[in-house]
Amino acid sequence: MHTYAELATTSNFSFLRGASHAADLVGQALELGHAGIGIADRNTVAGVVRAYAAVEKGKEAYQKLHGPTATLPFKLAVGARLVLADGTPDILAYPEDRAGWGRLCRLLTEGKLRAGKGECLLHLDDLLGHAQGLLLVLMPRRSLDGLDALLPRLQEAAPGALWLAAAMHHRGDDRRRLAGLKSLAEHHGVPLLAVNDVLYHHPSQRPLQDVMTCIREGVTVTSAGRLLEANAERHLKTPQEMARLFRDAPEAVAETLHFLDRISFSLDQLRYEYPDEPVPPGRTAQDWLEELTWRRANLIYTKGIPDKVQRSLKDELALIGRLDYARYFLTIHDIVRHADDQGILCQGRGSAANSAVCFALGITSVDPDQHELLFSRFISAERKEPPDIDVDFEHERREEVIQWVYERYGRHRAGIAATVISYRPRSAIREVGKALGLTEDVTARLADTVWGSWGTELADTQVREAGLDPDNPTIRRAVDLAGQLMGFPRHLSQHVGGFVLTRGRLDELVPIGNAAMDDRTFIEWDKDDIDTLGLMKVDVLALGMLTCLRKGLSLLREHCGIEHNLASVPSEDPAVYEMLQKSDSIGVFQVESRAQINMLPRLKPKEFYDLVIQVAIVRPGPIQGDMVHPYLRRRSCVEEVTYPSPAPPHDPDELRHVLKRTLGVPLFQEQAMKIAMVAAEFTPEEANGLRRAMATFRHLGNMHLYEDKMIEGMVRRGYDRDFAQRCFDQIKGFGEYGFPESHASAFARLVYISAWIKCHHPTIFACALLNSQPMGFYAPAQIVRDAREHGVTVYPADINTSQWDNTLERDETGALALRLGLRQIDGFRENWANTLCTQRVGGYDSIETLWQRTGLPKQALKLLADADALRSIGLDRRTALWAVRRLPDAEPLPLFVAAAQAAELGPEPAADLAPMQLSEHVVADYQTTRLSLKAHPMAFLRDHFRREGVKSAAEVAALRDGAFAKMAGVVLVRQRPGKGNAIFMTLEDETGITNAVIWARRFERFRRAVMGSRLVLVEGRVQKSPEGVIHLMAFGVYDRSSELERLSEAHSARLVLSPADHIKHPLYPRHATQKRDHPRNVRVLPKSRDFH
Amino acid sequence: MSCAFSARSRRYLALWLPYLQADRVRRQERGLPARDNKAKSKVQSPAPLVFVEKVKSALRLVAVDGQARGLGLNPGLTLADARARVPKLRVLEADPAADARFLERIADFCDRYTPLVTIETTGIVILDITGCDHLFPDGEVGLYTDIIGRLDRMDIGACAAIADTPDGARALACFGRHQTAPRISKSGRQARAVSDLPPAALGIPSETVISLFRAGLKTIGDVAKQPRAALAARFGGDLVARLARTLGEEDIRISPRRPLPIVMAEQIFAEPITSADYALVILGELASRASHILEERGEGGRCFEATFHRSDGRVQWLAVQTGHPLRDPRALMRLFRERLDALADPLDPGFGFDLMRLSVLTSEPLTLAQSSLDARTVADDEMIALVDRLNARFGARDVTRFVPVDTHNPERAERMVAAIASNKSPAGLQPKANTNKTKGQPSPSWLPSGQEALPRPIHLFEPPQPIKTTAEVPDGPPFQFTWRKANHRIVRAEGPERIAAEWWRSTDDKPPRDYYRIEDDSGRRFWVFREGLFGEADQPPRWFLHGLFP
Repeated sequence: MHTYAELATTSNFSFLRGASHAADLVGQALELGHAGIGIADRNTVAGVVRAYAAVEKGKEAYQKLHGPTATLPFKLAVGARLVLADGTPDILAYPEDRAGWGRLCRLLTEGKLRAGKGECLLHLDDLLGHAQGLLLVLMPRRSLDGLDALLPRLQEAAPGALWLAAAMHHRGDDRRRLAGLKSLAEHHGVPLLAVNDVLYHHPSQRPLQDVMTCIREGVTVTSAGRLLEANAERHLKTPQEMARLFRDAPEAVAETLHFLDRISFSLDQLRYEYPDEPVPPGRTAQDWLEELTWRRANLIYTKGIPDKVQRSLKDELALIGRLDYARYFLTIHDIVRHADDQGILCQGRGSAANSAVCFALGITSVDPDQHELLFSRFISAERKEPPDIDVDFEHERREEVIQWVYERYGRHRAGIAATVISYRPRSAIREVGKALGLTEDVTARLADTVWGSWGTELADTQVREAGLDPDNPTIRRAVDLAGQLMGFPRHLSQHVGGFVLTRGRLDELVPIGNAAMDDRTFIEWDKDDIDTLGLMKVDVLALGMLTCLRKGLSLLREHCGIEHNLASVPSEDPAVYEMLQKSDSIGVFQVESRAQINMLPRLKPKEFYDLVIQVAIVRPGPIQGDMVHPYLRRRSCVEEVTYPSPAPPHDPDELRHVLKRTLGVPLFQEQAMKIAMVAAEFTPEEANGLRRAMATFRHLGNMHLYEDKMIEGMVRRGYDRDFAQRCFDQIKGFGEYGFPESHASAFARLVYISAWIKCHHPTIFACALLNSQPMGFYAPAQIVRDAREHGVTVYPADINTSQWDNTLERDETGALALRLGLRQIDGFRENWANTLCTQRVGGYDSIETLWQRTGLPKQALKLLADADALRSIGLDRRTALWAVRRLPDAEPLPLFVAAAQAAELGPEPAADLAPMQLSEHVVADYQTTRLSLKAHPMAFLRDHFRREGVKSAAEVAALRDGAFAKMAGVVLVRQRPGKGNAIFMTLEDETGITNAVIWARRFERFRRAVMGSRLVLVEGRVQKSPEGVIHLMAFGVYDRSSELERLSEAHSARLVLSPADHIKHPLYPRHATQKRDHPRNVRVLPKSRDFH
Repeated sequence: MSCAFSARSRRYLALWLPYLQADRVRRQERGLPARDNKAKSKVQSPAPLVFVEKVKSALRLVAVDGQARGLGLNPGLTLADARARVPKLRVLEADPAADARFLERIADFCDRYTPLVTIETTGIVILDITGCDHLFPDGEVGLYTDIIGRLDRMDIGACAAIADTPDGARALACFGRHQTAPRISKSGRQARAVSDLPPAALGIPSETVISLFRAGLKTIGDVAKQPRAALAARFGGDLVARLARTLGEEDIRISPRRPLPIVMAEQIFAEPITSADYALVILGELASRASHILEERGEGGRCFEATFHRSDGRVQWLAVQTGHPLRDPRALMRLFRERLDALADPLDPGFGFDLMRLSVLTSEPLTLAQSSLDARTVADDEMIALVDRLNARFGARDVTRFVPVDTHNPERAERMVAAIASNKSPAGLQPKANTNKTKGQPSPSWLPSGQEALPRPIHLFEPPQPIKTTAEVPDGPPFQFTWRKANHRIVRAEGPERIAAEWWRSTDDKPPRDYYRIEDDSGRRFWVFREGLFGEADQPPRWFLHGLFP
């Protein structure tokens, strides 16, 4: 009986080198009867948790087979392969104990912090200083030179903990080399260790490994030559085979077990401890949390805490005590408190956030007195999941919070979690195709075709659709290999905001490295790894709407004297719901997209919970599960509310409890999970597994296991198979964009608040929204237009009145009006604006004073003139530009020389410039500020289009259902939602907006016009829904962008060449010498937002 | 006839080739042999053709053909956007080097009209045609029609214009409106002709174009009306200078791409001549005409160049240089004949030469001078000379040498290339040069870099010789083997060296080979391999002798 353990194993976290998942390696080692496995990736421990999880799974399976007391005779050693920058051969380092692990992590942290993102810069001396508690294995290179000198140095640093590795790779001289290593080992008294330096678990992975080598080196497989391995020997081999290969040195094989015996460290020894900071000394966490909660609750409910809330608080605090989550809540509270002190708006969401405790602590603003709570429904003693609270902060100021967290807990104790960026279908096929020598053209076409259809065999027809030959072996091979590469980690990136905070040193728990962003450091493990090891993560996320709301609330305080915070905005105001029911929601959080706007008049939200549903319903989950229409029918009482029920003897009302709030239709992620547990009798573990599979659905395809289990489980208990299938489809849809009720209700509050500001203070809302750009769905032009339609007076940007930000001022009637800020001018800089404002005392009366006083560069003045912001000194765009251009390029001289300088710019003969026409001004406005207050471009073309029988948006809206209409407008947005059966185009003219729908089958015919136009003419039939939603169902789409050129043509007699003429006589590319077109030249109107 | 060049009011023709890239590719593909059906079908395929280049990690269109332009696909668009609009696109990578070569060929062709030709970086050819129009019956109109017609027959789309200054001609060629009449601005009338063109025709940066537009100056005429000082103060002196040149107020001459001949003799044929021998006779006549002129000047030529313009637009050159000034036509013709014999491709009249020219590029006073023979005897030079001589005699295909190929597979470890080919390794065998990840492997060498060399025999059998062996299972070396009826007993052996098949080759689905170096009892050393492993396939593995060690 031979025994062996492979100790030099590289998983695919050695990017583009290891060609197997850690789980496959562990599985194969178990299969082959190895005594254990050592995973050591290149300068990282990123992959070891996955190996650990695989071993744990193996243990469970073993215990199921051999009884609960049996222990699997298999040991996992985790370490790293140190690749040193100074040319020393690679050294494997395995921690012997917990302290050794800490030192290895600190060693790697040191190397990583020294290098750029994703790199690790280590030298031999670093290792020699950190070697206590580490077992080292020297991996000799092909040439054995230099080992004689190196071995004694290592021996000194790690006495009795050094091995010399020997591998038999069938290179012809294996036995000679082994003899050499053996004598070297004997000479230095270092034991020889048999390894196979494994790159993959099975020899069939060789092509993949070769391809990865090619990707890494940037070569094609036909030219890679000896960069590739000569054979497929670097896989896990049976103990018998290893014994046979090492028959000249059997002690080297036996040594693998001795080595394994020395290791007492296992990842389960990593204990997570919450940081101490949030708990004052001398208090227990639970007791402090209770005190804090009651104290703050009393402050909030000045008239006494309502009974309902009191009950909730008691229950929740008891549950938190039972599960020992108090410090988690206190840690979140700690961060939220800091943000509050700094005046940064934030809002928590997630299952644990939906609680009375979180409301009391100021983590959320959903008042438990008025709304149903979800906390106890989703946090329960059985589910051993860590509580889940994500906190959103203002996007402009989140970095402050992040840096504060680093500062408060220290960089050695706080780190952002990693996100493993994996190969996706497109990237996989691109890279593999390149390595196999396919041209970019071919791989791009393959990538487009196969998008979304992975997991199944790539059908020949699909390949043929891409215009490629499915019988071509290279293409077939590329597709197969790309399938294998998919899901492989590609690189580590930082999580959007998940912090891991610890009580002790974090860098002795896991290595920390630099992120691509300045001042960010992140750990090597992602959130699944963190879950596996039971570490705690706090999510610090960014949300643009919070920035907008904070700006809105401060404007409200400043200009109207009204003081509000997120929690104090008056609830359930009917005017707000009335506005939303009319689809008047441009700029409102979450419900401003086309699909949401269409849903609003159907759903007719009347109360807060309707907003929760509104937020969640227009999502892939409910849409794919076909749950939207049933819900709407039931809501409008067209259909009776029924609850699917199982056959006797099961409780016929079991789903009533789950689905009551949503009229018997599952809409939220939690409901789908609950159905799995109630109706298909999933155990909590299984449900948890399903949730995880859902989250990673796109990466791993193990959903079908759950699919069978859930559907069969429900059918067995007497449910309708069709209903079961729809429930599951919905879960699959959640996999794409999961949307739980706990998140929806947090978002719904922000929907309400933003709608409230828009409804009662449209000027403030527009101003705050513009100052928070870029965010949301609409461009400044639409925001301004919407504001003006709501009666807001908008003034243009001007050097004598505007700040950098958009501001509010009183118009002649004393009402609030919006003054555009200098930030709306493309290319203008904030520091220029600040100089302009600070030097403005007394105002500017000429270009010369502006130039001399501010010292702004000529470029800045040109931008101001071009944006027509000099009207207050009596210059229109053309005159101002003509004057500004004359200024010398250099910086203006100090004041005392300026007089002389001004004299030099003496009078010159007046230029004979034609006055600029209004249409030209409008075009120039769009080019410089992306919006025009003067007019809409379509207004100038109206007569021209009228002759063709084209109607305006307002006229189209007034037509009856089914009427034929032609409409022309500027393209705002093109969208192709869901499965892409229809393409939505939003067109704008001077009277309003029209939504055109093009069915996919017509799309191909009009593809160019749809994709390429700025100004488009659509003909079709008007479709009006009972709720008053109007669409123009297009049967013809025509590109009329060339009409825009008329606007700026002074001589209207000159006709624009028709496209046919372009073929015969092309126009010379205007600036062939320049690589990139100047955007302002190309763009007459801003580019619309598009799908691709 | 012959001509000398005098200074007088000049005339220029600008030639703009809007679809240079596409025309190049289409011509190339038409030139392919007919048996290549795939290529042929591509030629007929109606897919619009675009050329792309990676600009800041996005593929962008850099050139298009007429069809793509008609569909609204313009240079500058990203490929993704272009595909979104027109999914069926034919996409080729831009090849600026090939474009430049093609443009050179077109400029060569233009040499037939005047030796004063220049190429601008933007793909425009400008000809100084002063005094050349009298060769055409309709003067400039005739020249214009001739050049456009010839290019059209060569399937090259071109826009041309004639004006008093190069800038004016260029502006008219690129921006002039499409008319049936040739775009020729009469001498001295240029300012009027260009006044309707947009300011972009001045060849100024786009930023300036926008600024002029904002000032309401939408044509060159509008700009010209402004005081020049005011323009210079705002847009710089460059604009004013360009304006003056475009309006024809100022002329900057072109600097021709080829040296201007000192003496030139040429012959135009109404009926193209198709015999190379006859062409030589004509060349002899031109030589004696040139020698007369040289004699008048008291000079002899040091560098002569014969130009053969084919009716399909191709141009062939034949240059000879002499160690001392020469003007004897017979001696000159002897040199030309020798030069012709040395050519790899003989003079090919194709559809016939319609113009031949003999130019004297450098000359010296014809006096007696000491001939200085260079006496360098560098081994390389001799080797090159030897290769050249062998090559001249046997042809490039038959004189070859070995170059290493980077592969594990012994059969493929070298290949033959023409000896005359450059010493550099064949393309495609090197790792990407700009990948800094790749440790320096300048070119594949015979030995793998950074590794100890594995012994390889000098001589390999092709194909490997089957042998009968007995060997230890599973991967021991043979004890003995029989080859060509002789039995060899093995006394020393090393191995195995396992080399797996190159899976990416469709034909290579063979099992891996285990190679052994072995030595028999009489000291002969062999390289043998076993194809396949024991117990993996149904049939027992086979053994082969692959090479002999010295």
